[in-house]
Amino acid sequence: MLLDFSRLGAWRVALSLIALLVGAYLLLPILLIVALSFGSSQWLQFPPPGWTLRWYEELVDDPEWIASFLTSFQIAAVVTVLSVLIGLMASFGLTRGTFRGREALRALFLTPMILPVVVLAVALYAFFLRLHLNGTFVGFVLAHLVIALPFSIIAISNALERFDRDIETAAIVCGASPLEAKIRVTLPGIRLGLVSAAIFSFLASWDEVVIAIFMASPDLQTLPVRIFGTLRQDLSPVIAAVSTALIALTAALMALAALLRKDARS
Amino acid sequence: MTVSDAMHPASAPVRRRLPSGLAAVTPALVLVAVVFVLPVLALLLRSVLEPQPGLQNYAAFFASTTYLKVLGNTFLVAATVTVATVLLGFPVAWFLAIAPGFWSRLLFAIVILSMWTNLLARTYAWMVLLQRTGIINRTLMDLGLIAEPLPLINNLVGVTIGMTYIMLPFMILPLHATIRSIDPSVFQAAALCGASRWQAFTRVMLPLTASGIAAGALMVFVMSLGYFITPALLGGTSNMMLAELIAQLVQSLLDWGLAGAAALILLTITLAIYLVQLRFFGFGQARS
Repeated sequence: MLLDFSRLGAWRVALSLIALLVGAYLLLPILLIVALSFGSSQWLQFPPPGWTLRWYEELVDDPEWIASFLTSFQIAAVVTVLSVLIGLMASFGLTRGTFRGREALRALFLTPMILPVVVLAVALYAFFLRLHLNGTFVGFVLAHLVIALPFSIIAISNALERFDRDIETAAIVCGASPLEAKIRVTLPGIRLGLVSAAIFSFLASWDEVVIAIFMASPDLQTLPVRIFGTLRQDLSPVIAAVSTALIALTAALMALAALLRKDARS
Repeated sequence: MTVSDAMHPASAPVRRRLPSGLAAVTPALVLVAVVFVLPVLALLLRSVLEPQPGLQNYAAFFASTTYLKVLGNTFLVAATVTVATVLLGFPVAWFLAIAPGFWSRLLFAIVILSMWTNLLARTYAWMVLLQRTGIINRTLMDLGLIAEPLPLINNLVGVTIGMTYIMLPFMILPLHATIRSIDPSVFQAAALCGASRWQAFTRVMLPLTASGIAAGALMVFVMSLGYFITPALLGGTSNMMLAELIAQLVQSLLDWGLAGAAALILLTITLAIYLVQLRFFGFGQARS
């Protein structure tokens, strides 16, 4: 009755109406940014009086925006590689290890994901102040690695738990060395977990803003730090252009993840 | 006996190379210990060591009406956002679980897109929408509903609207999973027993989804408590939330002792709620 859409009666109308309104609430702000980024009004008039690519030109012509874009990308790329490597090792240890306290260790590794990030940001800022790591590439990578690692461990552990270990054992029985069996049999078997670990790690670093705000120096700013700094001053349409570029990137990564999932099922 | 049991003797010499898996977790352990545990503990310790050893920072925090107001704001916003996400998220999750394929897939894609869209981009959208001369105020004035622009930004109203927007997916997705896991035949049984739709809803559906609602609500509540970016951009300076206070104590006032105390208060509340969640709903729910 309540789980059969066609037999909900009057409830169906109410449910559909709320779904429509919430769908609009979730979608319209995103569409609004995209529209404003092509609108000609400096004051973000809506609907825009005309259409222009001016804000994108300003964005591409500004070396500081380009620099922060590249900085974010480089940090996220290094974080992704390290997060997948360290996460892969940790996942092997957590899912196959026999030492005691594995569950507690797993919980410890996932803690950075659930604690308020502002606490970690302030703590790292103080810590890196002593080590002179604030405003450095290494500092950013270390901080973002802690944030990204839980996503990597969750994705790879889940894949490892689903992977049939007998296949790896069979390869070893057939004469492969244990390392060879892991690289040539197990890794291809969990490749979807590795790819999603990479995607989530990249996004965790790429979108991270709270730690970056504390850690950034005038010389080394990530893209989110620059957006945040600009937003504190005014609502320039250039931000709409940056945001649209970010939305496009997110949508592309989501589409990639969806394709991979489809690929895995067929 | 499974294949794996039969084969383990063969792999025994192999496993001796990695006796317990400890070597494999070492890099992660070192990273988390040095870049997470150590700095956080150091910060918390400063709350009882600076400016001199003692509990004066906690005394100062709880004696100050300003700081207590910040704590009150934080709870008020987190609670309002939680209630709003439950009320809006439940029907949406229900719709997603049972609506015809195309519509539920479309709405599902919107929820996911919204969740993964950059936080600053979404907050920017709400800054544009809610400002004095923004689309919402202008539309309401054009319709003649209000004479003066409503104060929708730089106050707790703006923070609540923006945070509800950001937290909704975190409520919808787990609730969707909960509703999908209900066996439809329980409603056939309810109908056979003569229950009306309303009775089936209150006596069958709500009890069956209560744990999902509670788990989602705890998660949204605890995430809202420590939120920084959205309150910093949509909120006002006179109505801060706890995360902003911590940032300001460090950045402008350089009061590390008090910042450490505020951080410990935030951490304690957060961990307490997570422990409740673990205790009642298990680790799986807390993780997902």
